[in-house]
Amino acid sequence: MKLNTLVKSSLLAPMGIAALMSAAPASADQEYLLTVTRPGQLHVIDMATNKVERSCDIPGKFGSGSIALAPNGKTAYVLSNMTEDVYGISIQNCDITFHVAQSEGNIRVKSVQSITVSTDGTELYTVQNPVRHLPDRFEILEPKLAVYKIADGMGAKPVRSFPVERRITKIAATETGEVILGGGDVTAINTQTGAVRMVTALQNWDRGPLWAPPDAFAMHSQGEQTNEYLMPYSTAKFEDESMNMETAQWWWGMSRVNLTTGEAERMETVPFQFIVFNFLTDPRDSNILYGSFNTLSKHDISKHETLIVHEMPHTYYNLNISGDGKTIYVGGTSSDISIHDSETLDKIGSIQLSGDMTTSDLRVATIRD
Amino acid sequence: MALTKQNKKRVPLVGPALALVAVLAAPAMAAQPDGETIIRNNCLACHSETGDKAAPFSRISEQRKTPEGWRMTINRMQALRGAKISPEDKRALIQYLADNQGLAPTEAEPYRYLLEQDTNRVEEGIDEGLGQMCARCHSGARFSLQRRSEDEWKRLVDFHMGQFPTIEFHSLARDRAWYDIAKNETAVELGKNFPLITPQWNSWKTAPKADLTGRWRVLGFVPGKGQFDAWMNAAKSESGYQLQLEGQYADGSKLSGSGNARVYTGYEWRAALTIDGVKMRQVMAADAKGGEMAGRMFPAAERAIGGELRAVRDQGEAEVIAVMPSLLRQGESAELTILGQHLEGDVSLGEGIEIEKVLERDDDSIRVLARATGSEGARSPSVGSASLEGGLSVYQTLARVEVVPANALTRIGGNGGEMEKVRAVYRAVGYSAGADGKAGTEDDLRLGYMPATWSIKPADEVAAHDKDEDFAGSIDAHGIFTPGDAGPNPARKMSANNVGRLTVIASVNDGDAQVRGEGSMLVSVPDFVRRVLD
Repeated sequence: MKLNTLVKSSLLAPMGIAALMSAAPASADQEYLLTVTRPGQLHVIDMATNKVERSCDIPGKFGSGSIALAPNGKTAYVLSNMTEDVYGISIQNCDITFHVAQSEGNIRVKSVQSITVSTDGTELYTVQNPVRHLPDRFEILEPKLAVYKIADGMGAKPVRSFPVERRITKIAATETGEVILGGGDVTAINTQTGAVRMVTALQNWDRGPLWAPPDAFAMHSQGEQTNEYLMPYSTAKFEDESMNMETAQWWWGMSRVNLTTGEAERMETVPFQFIVFNFLTDPRDSNILYGSFNTLSKHDISKHETLIVHEMPHTYYNLNISGDGKTIYVGGTSSDISIHDSETLDKIGSIQLSGDMTTSDLRVATIRD
Repeated sequence: MALTKQNKKRVPLVGPALALVAVLAAPAMAAQPDGETIIRNNCLACHSETGDKAAPFSRISEQRKTPEGWRMTINRMQALRGAKISPEDKRALIQYLADNQGLAPTEAEPYRYLLEQDTNRVEEGIDEGLGQMCARCHSGARFSLQRRSEDEWKRLVDFHMGQFPTIEFHSLARDRAWYDIAKNETAVELGKNFPLITPQWNSWKTAPKADLTGRWRVLGFVPGKGQFDAWMNAAKSESGYQLQLEGQYADGSKLSGSGNARVYTGYEWRAALTIDGVKMRQVMAADAKGGEMAGRMFPAAERAIGGELRAVRDQGEAEVIAVMPSLLRQGESAELTILGQHLEGDVSLGEGIEIEKVLERDDDSIRVLARATGSEGARSPSVGSASLEGGLSVYQTLARVEVVPANALTRIGGNGGEMEKVRAVYRAVGYSAGADGKAGTEDDLRLGYMPATWSIKPADEVAAHDKDEDFAGSIDAHGIFTPGDAGPNPARKMSANNVGRLTVIASVNDGDAQVRGEGSMLVSVPDFVRRVLD
């Protein structure tokens, strides 16, 4: 079975690349796939050729590989130095144009994935988790949203900050001037006033006793091809108030936020049959989701159906998709990005990197002509 | 060497008689000023003096721990906080802190398995909330073996947040207000369940501590070699006791070793011996009178492969300590060995048991050929005036076999990787059905350890599909399970490593029949953090 798949994919690989290359001239936009590998390189992959075009060294110890994109696609903001620093790196020449060291004095500040850039490209947002290191104890300080002016460049300091909830992971800026905060619930913070509104109650949802409290978690940012923020969750619906786990229906669900409007839809998507670490929406059809982990999967959420499950040779945490929706890139965990046809999920190619991606983001920067 | 040097200096000043009294009253107990001096010299770069005589040092004075607990703390201060402390000062400081801020025997008793490094068990009786908040990462015994003030438990929560910044994002944390619950509920509960000040400690701290000098009759088990009995001589040394051990395994082969022991908190026996070229560790607790100790012995290099250990001090009295094996099948003749000390007088194995022949006899061991004719049940063998209640069981039919440990965890390793394989050792315990004739009920009679034939099978359909029994490891004739090699295995689905879930089967002969027992084995990935206590 595995052998057959390998033979098939190697036969198909040249065809896939040919198809992509022939499609390229139809658009002048250039798509680049970005990811980070250990010990600390940002890789810029030309999605027309699926070749690594350049690899930029990231200062500092490996962070988590979290990447935020400038709206013009030309700068990648990478969380580095054990998730304490952010570097802005030109994907066109590797120049470092921006640096924030969040920790200062005896206050150590880490961000757990949470970096994003305003839709006008002028501000960078991080969620900070500060801890004061006293001589014989730690003092845990309140987390906050920190706002930096990108024009401040190297050594930028926060220009505003506002308190936020604990346990925030990935964040994304909306066109309405808010930042979506994914934590126990999905909330949005006004970046001028700090006002926080509920977008989707998850931990605090009120669906009665028959729905188990959801486990919502997302480490990776995608959604640049659909301008959306997707927070997946898992939950169980019990048959009755005896809350028998054995007979409960297990579901995947999501809060999907439209980053143009800041409005979200929450729904159960497909039955929970296997672990999916990241879900991604097809840019051509919002009912079609793809998922990655030990399998690459395709789902039709309008029918609550899993359409295709493609066994993978190892775990891949992460995935992303070309703007035309035809090609899926599956990465994270190890050192190879696996390329698949979104129609069949068949493997059509592979990109070998110089190190492990581990927890890194896999993002698409589009430079429009 | 601050502690012992100062002791040496002081001995001539106070005179031999007074020194002897001090040693007898509190062996190896450090005098208070010495420990405080070490703290002042080594810890005050970060910790501060509070001015409160009852709790003179910030944080340090608000905790009580086992010797292993204090060792872990000082290890962390060295590894992560830049503390510089000489090996001599470190040894003396652990001694001082364990003696003066330790756990009373009754406080440590429910959790001794962790100190004994006997971690192949599913912990019972851990509060569900504490289980989710604390024991999802480490054992329940780890925090149950600590005593702190409520504020200090709260600082421990803050330590976890500062040291492990992603702790509140883990599964079973991100679905709740983890930090708020940990600090305002869990720490308060810990402060109530495991408070700094307890009547048990107040009473133990001032109780006279036993002198463990003397000759100890020792019974134990070494995986791969079997049961042994030995004499262990403990002579007073500068830091504890100097040990000599001589004995024999059940098959007659000899064992011999020597080493040293320290006693912490007046009862925590920690010995390092080299037995037949292998460095071994003993972890035992002494009873209040210093007459008996019980615990576990294991190789220093492989703490998972150990066996139970018991020691009874020779106090000049006759004593029957064990009969090996501890069971006798009705109608069958078998060789039994009575182990003890000062064994003089008539030998009886109990009602209905005929001693056909005394094969060998001396002061501490009597080997006999015996035949049981009486009814099923426990017997109390005796020699002269000494007897051992329930020391021998007579049975008709072996009703069931219990595999111990019932649940074990091993870890793949080796194969050029950083970590050695973590093995496990199994033993089979036989039971007869008891008066109700039904196996598995409360009145089942424990017969004791029995020789078994060992095998493995996949734990369930998924494990069978993944062929875990072919990849995850193998078990030998001694019941020692050795897991597979570390690293990706191209022969497995997704090149998975050699992890697996297995059922371990013991087959024990009962006349012409065979009785089987099963245990559960999880073969897991290497653990790259070596903790003093898991």
